[in-house]
This record gives sequence, C-alpha cells and structure tokens, in this order.
Amino acid sequence: MMRKWIILAVLLLVVLAGGIPLYIHRNFKEEVVAGEGVTGFFKLSKYFSGIEGTIADTDVFELKGSEEGGKMLIIAGTHESEPSAALAAFYLIENLKVDRGTVYIIPHFNRSGSLGTQPGGGFPLYFSMETPWGEKTFRMGDRGFQALDQWPDPDVYIHYPEGQAMSYIDARNTNRAWPGRPDGLYAEQVTYAAMEMIKKEKIDIVIDLHEAEAMYPVTNCIVVPEKSMSYATGASFYVKGREKFENHVERSPTAFRGLSHREIGDWSDAYPFLLESPGVHLDQITAAKTPELIMDGIDPFVLKAAEKGLLFVPYDENGFSMDRRVGQHSSVIQEIVVQWSKKNPERGLTISAPRYKEIVDNGLGYFFKDPSKADKSDVYLQ
Amino acid sequence: MSADAIYMQTIIAGIVMVGAYVVGKLFKFSTEMCMFLAVVGGGIAGGAGFDLFRHLAEGSVTYLDIGLIFVFATIFMNIIKESGGTNYIVRKIVGAFYNKKILMLILLMCVILVPGALTGAGSISVLVVGGTVAAALGAMGLSKVTISAIIFIVAGLSAAAPPINIWAMMTCANTAIPYVGFTMPLLIPIIILGLFTVLFLGRKAKVIDREKALKDIPEPKGLSGWSVGIPFLVLIFLLAAPRIWPFGFPVLGLPLAFAICALVAWAMNYKRVNILKVSKDTVSQLTPLLATTAVVGMLVQIMSFNGVKGLISMWIVTAPLIVVWIILPFIIPISEGLLTYGGAMVIGIPLIWMLNSNGINPVIVLAGLSLLWPLGDGLPPTALIGRLTVSTVGYKGSYGSFLKECIVPWIAITVVGMIMVIFANNLSFLMMVG
Repeated sequence: MMRKWIILAVLLLVVLAGGIPLYIHRNFKEEVVAGEGVTGFFKLSKYFSGIEGTIADTDVFELKGSEEGGKMLIIAGTHESEPSAALAAFYLIENLKVDRGTVYIIPHFNRSGSLGTQPGGGFPLYFSMETPWGEKTFRMGDRGFQALDQWPDPDVYIHYPEGQAMSYIDARNTNRAWPGRPDGLYAEQVTYAAMEMIKKEKIDIVIDLHEAEAMYPVTNCIVVPEKSMSYATGASFYVKGREKFENHVERSPTAFRGLSHREIGDWSDAYPFLLESPGVHLDQITAAKTPELIMDGIDPFVLKAAEKGLLFVPYDENGFSMDRRVGQHSSVIQEIVVQWSKKNPERGLTISAPRYKEIVDNGLGYFFKDPSKADKSDVYLQ
Repeated sequence: MSADAIYMQTIIAGIVMVGAYVVGKLFKFSTEMCMFLAVVGGGIAGGAGFDLFRHLAEGSVTYLDIGLIFVFATIFMNIIKESGGTNYIVRKIVGAFYNKKILMLILLMCVILVPGALTGAGSISVLVVGGTVAAALGAMGLSKVTISAIIFIVAGLSAAAPPINIWAMMTCANTAIPYVGFTMPLLIPIIILGLFTVLFLGRKAKVIDREKALKDIPEPKGLSGWSVGIPFLVLIFLLAAPRIWPFGFPVLGLPLAFAICALVAWAMNYKRVNILKVSKDTVSQLTPLLATTAVVGMLVQIMSFNGVKGLISMWIVTAPLIVVWIILPFIIPISEGLLTYGGAMVIGIPLIWMLNSNGINPVIVLAGLSLLWPLGDGLPPTALIGRLTVSTVGYKGSYGSFLKECIVPWIAITVVGMIMVIFANNLSFLMMVG
C-alpha cells in the first residue's frame, strides 16, 4: 500500500513540475508601451459580440492621424509560432507615427495560440532580447489555437463556405478559416469578426504578418491576389533597389481556400497582403530549438541545406536575425502604403517608422520603451 | 556556440538516447519504458535541466486524441463482442457467402477498407471490424498469423485510402499544398494492392463447410439484427453527418462519436453486457498502447528540442537523390515506427519541399509515400497498429513471425509506392480524374 502512495506522490510531483511552467507561461504578460501614434484601444468583439469574453477575442490598437485618409489593418500573430509578426506589431505600436489615415494593429490575432507552445515542437516557452534598459521577454506560441481552448478537432476540416477538405489540424489554423462564420469554431469566429471589422470600417489595406521556413518556396515574400499585385510589385522593387533586401511577390492561388490573402480580397473591398519573413526556427531540419535560434536565426544544419541549394532565401553563417525579419516587415508595410497612396490619393495614408537599415543597425531592442518608466496608462499587457 | 560544437552536441544527444534505450532493454524493461529512458537521456544531454518535466508534459499530449480514439473505439467493439454481436455478424456472412471464396475475400477487404478510409486511421478499421473479419477469415481455414497479416496490411491501406489520408493532409497542411487531386492517385494503387494482398495471403482459404462453421460459431441467444445493426448505423451516421452537413453538424470528434456508439450498443444489450467491467478490461488491454502514444509524443518533443530530429532530416534531404531513392523504402516506415505521425512531419515535409524544388509532382510523391508510412505502424519500437492487430485477432505467436507473414505484400506495396515517388511526373495523369 505504501509503495502505491509513494508512486502516486512521485507522479503528482512530476505532473506539477511539468504543468506549473505551462500554467505560468499561459499567464505571462508581455508589456507594450503605447507610442505617441496610439489614439485608441478596443476589443475585436466590438464588431462581433459572439466572441466577447472568449479566448477568440483580442486587442486592437488604433493609430489615427490628424488628417482623414485611408485605413489599414495590420494583423500579427495569425500563427503565434512566427514571432517576428507579433514583435513587428509591438514595434509599430511603440514607434509608428500616422499623419494621415488610420492604422489598426492586432498584435495577437490568435490569442489562444500565443498562450502555449506546440506539443511535440520542442520549442522554448520564452525568448528575450537586449534593450538599452534591460532584457525584454516574450512568449513563444503555437501555430494554431491551443487544444485547451478549441477541442475536439473534427476528423477532417471542411472550409466554409467553399467546402474544401483539409487536415484536421487546420481546424485550429486561423489562416485556413477566412472568411469565417459566426457559429463556427473559434478560429472561424475570430476571422469572421475581423471580416466584419474590415467591412464596417471600410478598410483599404489588410496586412497579415507571418514567418515561413527557409526551405519553404513561399518565404521571404509578399503573397497577394491579382488585385493587390501592382502595389506588392512596386513595394518589392523598391525595397530591393533602395533598401537592398530581397522580398519577391507570390501570387495567391485560387484553388487553396481559407487563406487571408485569398478570402479577404474575395469577400471584401480591401486589398490583402501577406508578408512572409524567413524564420528558420520553423524549419524541420534545425539543430536544438533554442531562444537564440528564434532570435538570431543561425543554424548549422540550415546552412548545410543552403550549401546544397535547398533554401529559398539567401542564407549564410550570419543567419536571419529577428532584427532583419522585423526590419523587413517594417519597410515592406511602409512601402505598400506609399504605393497604395500614390495610386489612391483620396484614400491615401501617411505613416512613418524606422525602416530596415535603422532597425538592423541599432538592434530591435533599441526601439522598445521601458515599461517601468512609462506612464502606467500607456502600458498594455498582452 | 560554433557549428562544430552544435553538431557534436546533437550527435552526443542522439548517442545518449540510443544508449539509454539499449540499457533499458538490457534490464528487460518494456519498450515504452526504454523509450521513456531515451527521452529522459535526450533531454538531459540536450541541456533541458528542470525544463525536462515541462517537455514531458507537453510531449505526452501530442497524440492524446489517438489514445482516446483507441479507448472508446475498443470499448464500443468489446460491447458488441460481449453481447454476441460479432458471432451474429460472422454467422450471417458465412451463411451468405460460404461457397464463394474469392468474392468473400474481396468483400472482407472492402469491409476493412471503409472505416479507415473514412477516418484516416487504420486502427479504426482494426478496432471496429477487425474482430469480425478475423472470425470470418478463420472460418475459411486461414491461420491466425495469416489473418493478422491480412488485417494489418489492408488496414494500413485503408488509412492511406481517400478521402482521408492523415499523412498527406498533415504534410499538405505544413507545405501549403492543397489537399486536392489525391483521390485517384491513392485509390487506384490501394485497390490493386488490397486485391493482391487478400488474394495472395488468402490463397490457402477454403470454401467453407457451412454446417461445420455455423456449428463452431455459437449462436447468440435472443440477439436481434437490430441490436447489432443500430450501433453500427449510429456510427455510420456520426462519421457521415459532418461530411453531409459540414456547417450544420456539431464537431464531436472521433472519441466522443465512439463513446456515443458504445453507449448505444450497451443500451441495446444492457442485459447481456456489464459496461463497467468491459470498460475496465478495455483500459487494461490498451494500457501498453496508451503508454506508447504518450511516450512517442515525448520522444518527438525531445528530439525536436535537442536537434536530433533536425539532424536526421537534414542528413536525408541533403543526400544525393539516388541515395534518397535507395533509403526511402526503409526510412519512411522506420520513421513511422519510431515517431508515428511525427515521421511525416520530420521527413515528409523537407522531402516534399526538396522534391518539389526539383520539379517533381508533390501530389503523386505524397500519394506514393502514403503507401509506405502505414507499413511502419507494424514496426517496433511503437508497432501501434501491428500490436493492436495481433491482439484483436488473438495471435499468440512471436511478433517476428507476424511480420514475416506480411513480407510479400509489404514488398509489393514498397515497389508500387517507390514507382509512384520516382516516376511521379509520368504518373501525373492520375490526378486528372481525382
């Protein structure tokens, strides 16, 4: 009898030792200090009350310029295992200046996914970066909704409304759930809420920030449907010519449903752009999944694949750092806005934030404000 | 850390994992315990420290759904068996087809193919119809080892059969390839290979002596066709309804669907079946398999954490194409045997990207690889479906003898699968009709 109790006690200790870090991670708050551009803050449920008070609801930051103009929505954290997206959103919330038009930023679109890492993925729970005032720590997340929040999975996921069959794991993928539906799974409800926002606010440009594997053909690029093509091409040429980094354009396939760059364009008047930066920590062929790999993107196994010509991005021993990935997002977003505003002056936007070179030269941490020295009302917990 | 140091650290972590597994075997620990030792060794060698416990917790739920499906599907089938339903079905089959040997083999093949094709899980075929088919094949005079081989191979093909092929779907999900155009590239080889398997392994089957067979299979007393049929009708409804009304039917998940069917089966037979005893016995029966699903998740997690998974897949995708062709017939089933679905993630994804970038049709390649992955479900250390099959059939011989019986269809499947992989572009026409 005593032996059974001892085994039970040991098991309990092991469960607690394994579970407590996951609980702490789920409740860990990232701090973002609203920059001078932030003029408002609300929940996405403003546009669809069905997600109010649920894990699908998420924060929206509003940055409204002094002059009326067009409107842009920046979505980050569609896939929370692609952290340069959320970091780019935090960076823009703290640094973006909007003179004309309105910019909305959602840093954790798939909030559930930001609260846990992928089972079987072996990822660290956190990663940190140096700033002038100390270390800033962020949560690592999962690609889809956590099973803790959206479960059970169907045995096959069928896309609404096209009826395309997909893997059951895509039922939790917010980038297979557009345009969404009000009575669907959480992943479909959050995209439905965003579609409602896009329509009601008459959003002109939707940016969906991502990272992709270096071995994946659709990486380091802007994915767009036909109607966004000319703006994306202009932005791609500009950043290659002036800012000296590659960011090619990929056409959104019409046969592959549920993706933001396909459905937002098809179901609204907005012009969607999906931005991919290369996150080598996502590749299957990496060495240990460490916080340093997420931040620096340096990996000898990926380098070996690069030497064999298997990658779709230029890659060397310097890796692909977070500074570069966020810098690319910043420059490409701003250049898309420039291209858009040139062709649509009546719905133009005027925005500015440090671009690629400045971010790479100074390091991303340089641009984050110290929450302990900021006005408490400007500090938002994410 | 320098590149050389990272290589060295990863290789050491791999050696420690293998060493811990071997030490466990020397102490005659169970396979699950040996794998767990490998996990702990890999975590420590990878520098997890106290975070090892978090990795164990996170990894253990990677395949939680599969474990739950095993439990509820087996409870369902054990209730049917306990009520006498299995004997009832076999008696009906024998009575109708006793003098049509070939037709009966083909019919039984179709019976095994359907549940796996609809759910994407060979285990469901084994659990739902394996016992009944085994009894029917037994009545045809086939040995238990042959019956086990037939059920295992055809159940594996059923998992790869359209419409639901989880290996292809998971790889598509992670490579942004639409899961379209797979129907004929999967269906045609699977029907051919299924026919070959049942006709080859069933070549020694005899025309059934109807009277003798019916005498050997006890007739369940007071059991009506409805009390056997209704639970299966409910199952068919619960599997079909989400496809017929994809946006109107609630998402139940397979574990709950089987739990509902188990309750219906019990309600139809509550006088004959003690549901608590059946449930308890089922969990005892499945404990080793459940332990395997949990520990495989941990293994995938730790191999990803310490980079051993990345090292293996890097070696494969950077190898010359000719070497890849040679090792694929071995490495695909072995990766499935080691990591179950994790194998598709570790090797399938980089492999598809590599072949796709070489201009090779990824849909046909994936369809070909999908034939090879289920074979790995019979391979140690996990051998999930293989063990489930021999347990369902009640084969008491060595596991090695069961694998030996599978060898001819195994080779046939490997040859067809590799032809599809190597000549994918020449076989692209198959997509035109699927």
